[in-house]
Amino acid sequence: MSVHSVSVAKERLKNLLVSDRMQCTPETVCRLEGDLYHTVSKYVEVRREDFDVTVTRTDIHIKYMGEKN
Amino acid sequence: MGEVIVITSGKGGVGKTTTTANIGIGLSELDKKVIVIDTDLGLRNLDVVMGLENRIVYNIVDVIEGSCRLKQALIKDKRFPELYLLPSAQTKDKTSVSPEQMKKLIEDIRNDFDFILLDCPAGIEQGFQNAIAGADRSIVVTTPEVSAIRDADRIIGLLEASGIRRNDLLINRLRIDMVRRGDMMSVDDVTEILAVDLLGVIPDDEQVVIATNQGEPVVGEDCLAGKAYMDICRRLTGEEIPVDDFSRPEGFFEKISSLFHRN
Repeated sequence: MSVHSVSVAKERLKNLLVSDRMQCTPETVCRLEGDLYHTVSKYVEVRREDFDVTVTRTDIHIKYMGEKN
Repeated sequence: MGEVIVITSGKGGVGKTTTTANIGIGLSELDKKVIVIDTDLGLRNLDVVMGLENRIVYNIVDVIEGSCRLKQALIKDKRFPELYLLPSAQTKDKTSVSPEQMKKLIEDIRNDFDFILLDCPAGIEQGFQNAIAGADRSIVVTTPEVSAIRDADRIIGLLEASGIRRNDLLINRLRIDMVRRGDMMSVDDVTEILAVDLLGVIPDDEQVVIATNQGEPVVGEDCLAGKAYMDICRRLTGEEIPVDDFSRPEGFFEKISSLFHRN
């Protein structure tokens, strides 16, 4: 196997934890992320690839990178 | 007043009982008065790991039901200064004890010990609720695997929801050689994902299996796991010892991996 298995493990784990923490399916998490992006982009100029949602055990963090130079 | 620590994990087989035994023994070697309590009703194991299985007369359910006094059920481990075991019941099930009864038992004894360690059963059902009922803080044991870390995250959430705010992570059975070649999550990977304080890391060490076979501790022995367990005990007594995440540069790594490959 050329790809080290840790990157696969981390990716799977991150997805699992988000669905566990929010008690919903990965698809729902995806939709939520999309909706949040849609809402934020109404007020703030942000590109999809600069927009990131992180779910911890107690908070939902929305991160976006502003204007780049 | 003693500190009440529950050792838990969610997933089974990650090393809760071995950890409870070795931390209990290590703390007693640091001159602390320690009681280890097996709360896994129906699956009694802590006594076996400690090599005390032939000395059991009464158990935790007998104490809670009032069939005997606590002193009669306690097993003093004569190999160590001040170490006591309250064994679990092998024939009862989880429902024979309630969280309120566990809380009361702990309140009754907490002035008599420096540390009260509770070995929690796997799962998140009543056995877990019983074990955490009287705890001040927890040690969450995990191994660097997706399923174990996922369960650890769930458990930390449940502990926080029950008002237990201090939850420290113990990463068990870290394979240094595998981390190095990118086939096992590193200490940093795990702590970044779980976002809790790290109490310690126990490298995968065949000495743990050998010691457990014999009902003897590994803590304090001259091996990687033995030293790592003793460091954890010292940290619990308030000493500031940096956590070794076993990500040292080449020379050191070579030596360690060769130890693992020798067999």
